[in-house]
Amino acid sequence: MTKSQKRRISTIVRYSILTFWALVVAFPLYWIVATSFKPSEQWFAWPAVYFPDPVTLDNYLDVWTGRQAIATAQYIISAQRPWIALGNSIMISFCATTLAVLYGAVIAYGVSRYRVLSDTRMFQLLMLRMIPPIVVVAPLSLYYSALGLLDTAFGLIMIYFLTSLPYAVWMIKSFIDEVPREVEQAAEILGAPRWRTLWEIVLPLVRSGLVATFLFILILTWSEYLLALILAKTEVVTLPVELSKYQGSTEGRVYGRQAALSVGITVPLIIVGLIIRKHLARGFSFGMIRR
Amino acid sequence: MPPRGGGVVDASADTTPPRWREAPLLREEGRKHAVPMPSAVAVPAPVGRLASRELSRTRGIKRFKWTILAPLIALFAGVLLPVLLLQLYFSFHQWTIYLGAWHEADFVGLDIFKEVLTEPRFGWSILRSLAFALGSTIGCFLIGFGLAYLMHQPFRGQAVYYILFILPMLTVPIVVAYTAEMLLYESGPINDMISRVSGDQFKVAWLSNPDIALTTVMLLEIWNWTPFSFIIMLAGFASLPKEPLEAARILGANAWRVFWEVQLPLLRPVIFLALTLRFLEAMAEFPKIWALFQGGPGSATETIPVYIFLTTWQYFEVSKGAALSYVAMMLMIVIVLLVIRVLRREKRALDAMNVAVRRGE
Repeated sequence: MTKSQKRRISTIVRYSILTFWALVVAFPLYWIVATSFKPSEQWFAWPAVYFPDPVTLDNYLDVWTGRQAIATAQYIISAQRPWIALGNSIMISFCATTLAVLYGAVIAYGVSRYRVLSDTRMFQLLMLRMIPPIVVVAPLSLYYSALGLLDTAFGLIMIYFLTSLPYAVWMIKSFIDEVPREVEQAAEILGAPRWRTLWEIVLPLVRSGLVATFLFILILTWSEYLLALILAKTEVVTLPVELSKYQGSTEGRVYGRQAALSVGITVPLIIVGLIIRKHLARGFSFGMIRR
Repeated sequence: MPPRGGGVVDASADTTPPRWREAPLLREEGRKHAVPMPSAVAVPAPVGRLASRELSRTRGIKRFKWTILAPLIALFAGVLLPVLLLQLYFSFHQWTIYLGAWHEADFVGLDIFKEVLTEPRFGWSILRSLAFALGSTIGCFLIGFGLAYLMHQPFRGQAVYYILFILPMLTVPIVVAYTAEMLLYESGPINDMISRVSGDQFKVAWLSNPDIALTTVMLLEIWNWTPFSFIIMLAGFASLPKEPLEAARILGANAWRVFWEVQLPLLRPVIFLALTLRFLEAMAEFPKIWALFQGGPGSATETIPVYIFLTTWQYFEVSKGAALSYVAMMLMIVIVLLVIRVLRREKRALDAMNVAVRRGE
């Protein structure tokens, strides 16, 4: 076998493995999009229907315009509900993420330049994220109900802020670490106060890093389910919790509508994720991996 | 030299070498990016004003530090501390929501802990969680690593594959669960396709067979989170220094030996990172298992989070839930501390590698 033959075979092997996995990844995503366009008799057909025929927009209209209210075990999913949930999701995840990024940036600057947290403390901060929330959420819900924070957007924002803070601090620190110090040193010599140095010099220099961190944490808070379910499931419903309500529908399986809502939840997330695709590794590794 | 407002300038500025001006900042945080400084030239420090400047600077930094940390400390004291205390209280007092006020609950000492620790159901849920986390972590890692290896050198279509491969990670877990339900019913598309390819009837009850249910969630977890291992490993391959690889090739090593003896050892920190972080996330997995199975069929998918959830919010045994949480938390703290130990060690190795790479560039 010559070298070029060998290379050709390895290319073929590589492309076939990658394409196989691409199909594994794409098929479920295709299926949910396809189901969202299927008429009801094809949602759960025997044998399975691979292509929606006819393509219908009914599911989207049902879900997002409330054309057909769905009776569930607990209550009616009314016309506005998905929109209310969407509003809640946007409000809660944006507020929590903004808080986490702002405060995270301040801590990150302090750690990067003045070591306000030692290495040990930085790793202890990670525990906030690493210990599963389920082990503290029961007393947390009691505490929240005592404070009147149960079922409020504020309560959820606070807890999301707290749990995404480690990501924010670590990720932003990794960006600030890469900024050379000469400018700050010049500012200090000129007598600029530390806060002004932070706001007017350092943060603008890591602007793209802040945006990446913001979008990354947005992904996490947007898709969070457990805390939203326990701390705010009746009044302040977020989109993932709203979606799980369809499970109790008295109509039985409402796959098409679930799919239509799922597409609505997932598409924004995928767009955000693709925008910051280069920074995902940094985000998920708490900034320990730089590229 | 004109005076600079508020800077490190005073009467001695003209006679002091310029290094005075950068010295204060560097002394504080010069550990990592220290600019080489002519430290051999020891200039006798002008006493008096400079020393007091230095003092006020240290004070300023201290104030800055506590201003930064105050909200964090407040958050810990205001949210986490009361929650942990409450949890401790409930684990020692028998209370369910059917009883009266929680603060009047009976003190029962270690009874609830005894009950929890001797309960086989809890033991099984721990084993299930560990099995689930281990299985899915290894699955994610092997696939993610393989894909990253195949993609770590540029080729046509790389960007497209990359975008495709990260999509599952960007899908909300609860959506993954419902999509699985739409795909896995008995004559659903997955069984249907396997039947067509293999030729004979393939009917696996993915969702209702207790022997398979945990494997089903594990496969879902692998589908959902392989992108995590993939992007981390891909970043790891990208950060490998080039020199050792070239040296090995020049010395005539084949691809296999380069992989085993050069790439793999250099990748060790990244591998540890990918494994440990994924394992912890898998231990906390809740949405998919809950949405699909609620711990069933039977108790086939009852992992620690699900069992705690059931105890507290379905059986309303708050005290038992608190004791379960406590035990689970202790277990997780032990695991997390181990993980953090590993992470600290590996991060040092990673940083060293990053520095080496930067120098090479």
